[in-house]
Amino acid sequence: MLQTVAAAEPSIPGRPRSQLVRRALFYGLVTILALVFFVPFIYTISTSFKTIPDSVNVSLIPHPWTTAAWSDVWRRYDFALYFKNSFFLCAVIVSCNIFLGALGGYAFARLHFPGRDLLFLIVLATIMVPDQLRLIPIYVMLVNWHLIGNFSGYILINLVTATNLFFMRQYFLTIPKDFEEAAKLDGAGHFKTFWRVMLPLALPAIGALTILQFQGTWNDFYWPVVLFQGQAHLYTIQLGLANLRFTYSTLWPEIAAGSIIAILPILVLFLALQRFFVSGAVTAGVKG
Amino acid sequence: MMATGSASEAAPNRLRSSMLGARLSEAAWGYGFAFVPFAVFGLFFIYPFVYAVYISFFHWGILGKQPGASGTYNYSKVLHDPVFHIALKNIAEYALAVVPLEMGLGLSLALLVNGKIRGRSFFRSGFYFPSIASSVAITVIILYLFAPHGPFNTFFGFSTDWFGNASTVGWSIVGLNAWTTSGTVMIFYLAALQSIPEDVYEASALDGAGAWRTFRKITFPLLKPAHFFCLVVFGIGALKLFDQSYIVSNGTGGPNYATTTPILYIYRQAFANYDFGVAAAAGVVFLGIILVLTVAQWFTLGRQEAG
Repeated sequence: MLQTVAAAEPSIPGRPRSQLVRRALFYGLVTILALVFFVPFIYTISTSFKTIPDSVNVSLIPHPWTTAAWSDVWRRYDFALYFKNSFFLCAVIVSCNIFLGALGGYAFARLHFPGRDLLFLIVLATIMVPDQLRLIPIYVMLVNWHLIGNFSGYILINLVTATNLFFMRQYFLTIPKDFEEAAKLDGAGHFKTFWRVMLPLALPAIGALTILQFQGTWNDFYWPVVLFQGQAHLYTIQLGLANLRFTYSTLWPEIAAGSIIAILPILVLFLALQRFFVSGAVTAGVKG
Repeated sequence: MMATGSASEAAPNRLRSSMLGARLSEAAWGYGFAFVPFAVFGLFFIYPFVYAVYISFFHWGILGKQPGASGTYNYSKVLHDPVFHIALKNIAEYALAVVPLEMGLGLSLALLVNGKIRGRSFFRSGFYFPSIASSVAITVIILYLFAPHGPFNTFFGFSTDWFGNASTVGWSIVGLNAWTTSGTVMIFYLAALQSIPEDVYEASALDGAGAWRTFRKITFPLLKPAHFFCLVVFGIGALKLFDQSYIVSNGTGGPNYATTTPILYIYRQAFANYDFGVAAAAGVVFLGIILVLTVAQWFTLGRQEAG
């Protein structure tokens, strides 16, 4: 935008220098802002290699340099287990959301059955039910069904979200009908058509759903606090990190190392798929 | 002649009956496909919604429902609880402070990285990353940097306990979340900026308008739909503050109720006071408030877009 304005202005003597100054100011501002965004992370990395007394020093260079905090947090403070728990929950929940979201999405996009539009409206209405209202009834239900004390309750309430189903439906609507008609001529039934033809065609949507759901489940704090607090063997990485900070509030190197572990998978995903994240396909992952 | 006639009459009949069969089987498959997702929504979204309202009318403790309906007792308890009033006041102040801040910061970032600058995608990614990183890790990192004897205070010569004082903790959380959320706001504004046609700017350049004037008279007004969209989405989002206030206060909502938000209030009624009835009633009241605000916002939004 700035470029267009500048380019269209008539060139007058002395212009290049003022433009140079403006440009330098501009890059200075962007760099300062970028520093504000990066410094906390750079600091955290540095602190994770420090000793406890050294962790209150402002210096970015650890003195002495140690990896003790990393092995401490991984073994002694059980982050290996929390990391495994989080990955397990992500794998199960992402798979279920892909399968059930696609299954339901395909039904609502392509199959005709009485009451379809009404049912679809009801599905959309569930997006409006906030987690805050579900807290008490879901906790009571899971206690009554003896599903507290293991992962099954958490998995059950996250099997599929209306957002994911809606997302898959919208994608199926964009696929030309020719593919299904060809499959039908070949004698494929409805499930085979869905499984062999439509699901492979929906891979881009499945990819997007995977990333967003992985991010959501990995970062989830609300439900793990409600369902797992106090049961250390069920802690996810986020709950484990929060509890490490509650219990040992001055163990800064360990807390720093733990924070990096909690961020790392998302960072790797983000670096690999930057263009996807920044392209605006992120609307489903809006945080408060 | 006759034979062909009857054959061509029979064919549509057979076709019709086989089409009916196909339609029936398609409907059966449709119900089959939608069954499991629909059962999940019914059991874990729609039923809890009704169940929450039900629970709110009973004395309900850790052991379950107590005999006898309590009527509106839970509601009057919530509405007369000074802590609930503090929670509502806290969240109103928080939203009024954080939404303009994150929108201003997000728009500034979007304007900065919208031009053809060098390293554009690097800056975009850098500004966006805090939005998708875990809120727990970010909060814990900031708690470290702004600890009483932490690097920030040592470097700038302060000794304030930013997240430990009732008078500063609210603003500290506002700053923290304005920082992390501005990246998401930036993405929405970037999309809106890219939908503004180039020739609008060319026309304003021909008129000799400077960068600031162009922004004030052209860019900002053209972004109106984006302003309202962000106001609705991030305004509602701000009301649901939980993670940060839980981590900062170790789930207590302190010091002196300064970090008590409505969601944390609901959480504490359930898991610190074991009063599920009151917690459910508070949930219903809070949802009512959110709904009224949403409808009011959509109303103004609709009017603004029409005008």
